[in-house]
Amino acid sequence: MPLRRITLRVNGATYAGEAEPRKTLADFIREDCGLTGTHLGCEHGVCGACTILMDGQTVRSCLMFAVQAEGAELTTVEGLADGDRLHPIQQAYWDHHALQCGFCTPGFLMTTVEFLNDNPQPTEREIREALAGNLCRCTGYQNIVKAVAAAAHTLAAAPGARREIGTAAPPRAANVMAAPRKTGGPPGASHRPRHSGKTAKRRSGPKR
Amino acid sequence: MKPAPFEYHCPRTVDEGTALLAKYGDDAKVLAGGQSLVPLMNMRLARPANLIDINRIESLAYIRDDGRTLRIGALTRQRAAERAPQVAERCPLLRDALRLVGHAQIRNRGTIGGSIAHADPAAELTAILVALDGEVTARGPKGTRVIAARDLFVSYLTTSLDPRELLTEVSFPALPAGAGWSWMEIARRHGDFALAGVGVVLAARGGKIAHARIGLTGVGPTPVRPAEAERLLAGRAPSEDLWKGAAEAVRAAVTPDGDIHASAEYRTHVAGVLTQRALREAWERVREAA
Amino acid sequence: MKLEGTNTLPASVETVWKTINDPDALRSCTPGLKELKATGPDTYQATLQIGIAAVKGTYAGTLSISDKRAPTHYKITLEGTGGAGFMKGEGSVDLEAQGSGTLLKWTGDLQVGGLIAGVGQRMLGGVGKMLIGQFFKCLEERLGGSA
Repeated sequence: MPLRRITLRVNGATYAGEAEPRKTLADFIREDCGLTGTHLGCEHGVCGACTILMDGQTVRSCLMFAVQAEGAELTTVEGLADGDRLHPIQQAYWDHHALQCGFCTPGFLMTTVEFLNDNPQPTEREIREALAGNLCRCTGYQNIVKAVAAAAHTLAAAPGARREIGTAAPPRAANVMAAPRKTGGPPGASHRPRHSGKTAKRRSGPKR
Repeated sequence: MKPAPFEYHCPRTVDEGTALLAKYGDDAKVLAGGQSLVPLMNMRLARPANLIDINRIESLAYIRDDGRTLRIGALTRQRAAERAPQVAERCPLLRDALRLVGHAQIRNRGTIGGSIAHADPAAELTAILVALDGEVTARGPKGTRVIAARDLFVSYLTTSLDPRELLTEVSFPALPAGAGWSWMEIARRHGDFALAGVGVVLAARGGKIAHARIGLTGVGPTPVRPAEAERLLAGRAPSEDLWKGAAEAVRAAVTPDGDIHASAEYRTHVAGVLTQRALREAWERVREAA
Repeated sequence: MKLEGTNTLPASVETVWKTINDPDALRSCTPGLKELKATGPDTYQATLQIGIAAVKGTYAGTLSISDKRAPTHYKITLEGTGGAGFMKGEGSVDLEAQGSGTLLKWTGDLQVGGLIAGVGQRMLGGVGKMLIGQFFKCLEERLGGSA
């Protein structure tokens, strides 16, 4: 197959490469953009390890071809932290031991970003349903659920906290409609996980 | 590389798309959301020689509401339809079922037209199209034609669409005023393919059921419309016994296959259980609307 | 997986027996059969291109007829391997006169393995039955019956 020049916008920067049209977006991000935070698990759309944001919406990058993402604003896990400062969602995952091997984590983080954008005060059930498209083999999910609930609180408590990731660009296609804000229903009060009150000290060392 | 090599085409208009399909026919596959096709291509179970990516045909993404029918462009993302106020108003059954289609990541790319054309035996949208007597519009070398839902689904993953035809629009009749509805499905995990699913609409008149519409998925190669169950419900006063009778009629109307996920007996049984619950919930909504 | 069925064919037992042993009939009625080459008495080399919708695979293997008890019974075995997996179908066919026609009863054991079996598990039984149904429908038409 002939190679074609593909230019992508990822985390606010422009990357260009040459690839066949059949190269998946996940592979292009990893190999041509050098952003290996996005992981390959099943490569057939089940595990969610390859989840990224495209114009603020989660997509399975293993199910897209790189050519299809031209013109969109992509966000990968590398785009979450602000220099050395973890994104509040990352910090919550850290604090609540929501990762062990970390392989599924980038996918979970991107799913969490979209989810808390859409539903800032989720119930535990809503959290579990929202995460159902990401698989984890290590943690048993309990701590991930706690982390997402904690992140919701952090983001709600600090309006200045970086919440809207990857929505900088206006929706591309006319059919992307604004989500109606969820109102009513009990806030997560009855499902609030017990918070230890301790904030884990972030280790110094290589950035994630 | 995951998929086998293919010629990549990216038409910008419907005419360009149909011209490509006319040219490549059986050797081409349309790429819409890709949530069903690309997994097959990545595993090389499907190896179309030509891939026709229709995602840049922006004229195919729309939701039009004329008060009686929801006309949804084939490229409309499932997530957009799920959140559209017109869908919530005219056909909340569709909205409720959409929430159970896969996961958000899948619905952000998956399209309404794609789901219908792919005709998975456990799909939600196909069952609703059949239940509501919806229709699709397709454009091909012989021109444009409208296909009624009852003539569309032929078998597993097979519709009556010609390989040279592009599905351009899916239309769902609006629910009658004051009608109740319910979508229920059962799966081992949230987002899994339904082991069985039921969509129900109850139109009411004078405290009784005027007519019922029922569509089932996961219980055969194509969606099932249980005519006997609908007949049983028409004109009757609602009651638990009535729901039970309809559930039995539904059980008699389905012949599901068994597999490692669920036996045929289980699916048959559960189709009845879901029907009963869905009818109950639909009538509750009739009362709330009154 | 175990499958079974019955078909009524509009021809005498002898005619049906001849047809189901005729390589031409097998060649034209077996869904997806691209090539059938005799390699011995009642043994053939077969190439199958089979699948549903976009999912198609090519399988190379053998078709053989055994346990013949003319004109009412035999066993037919079709097995093949391909990139997408492997399949093996063993069917027992019994013919019974019914009026001027024949009642054909078949029972089969279909095994599918490999990638196609894992991915397509939830449709295998149904698709298998459907393809076997196509085979018998073709036979029926060949024998002068209407669908």
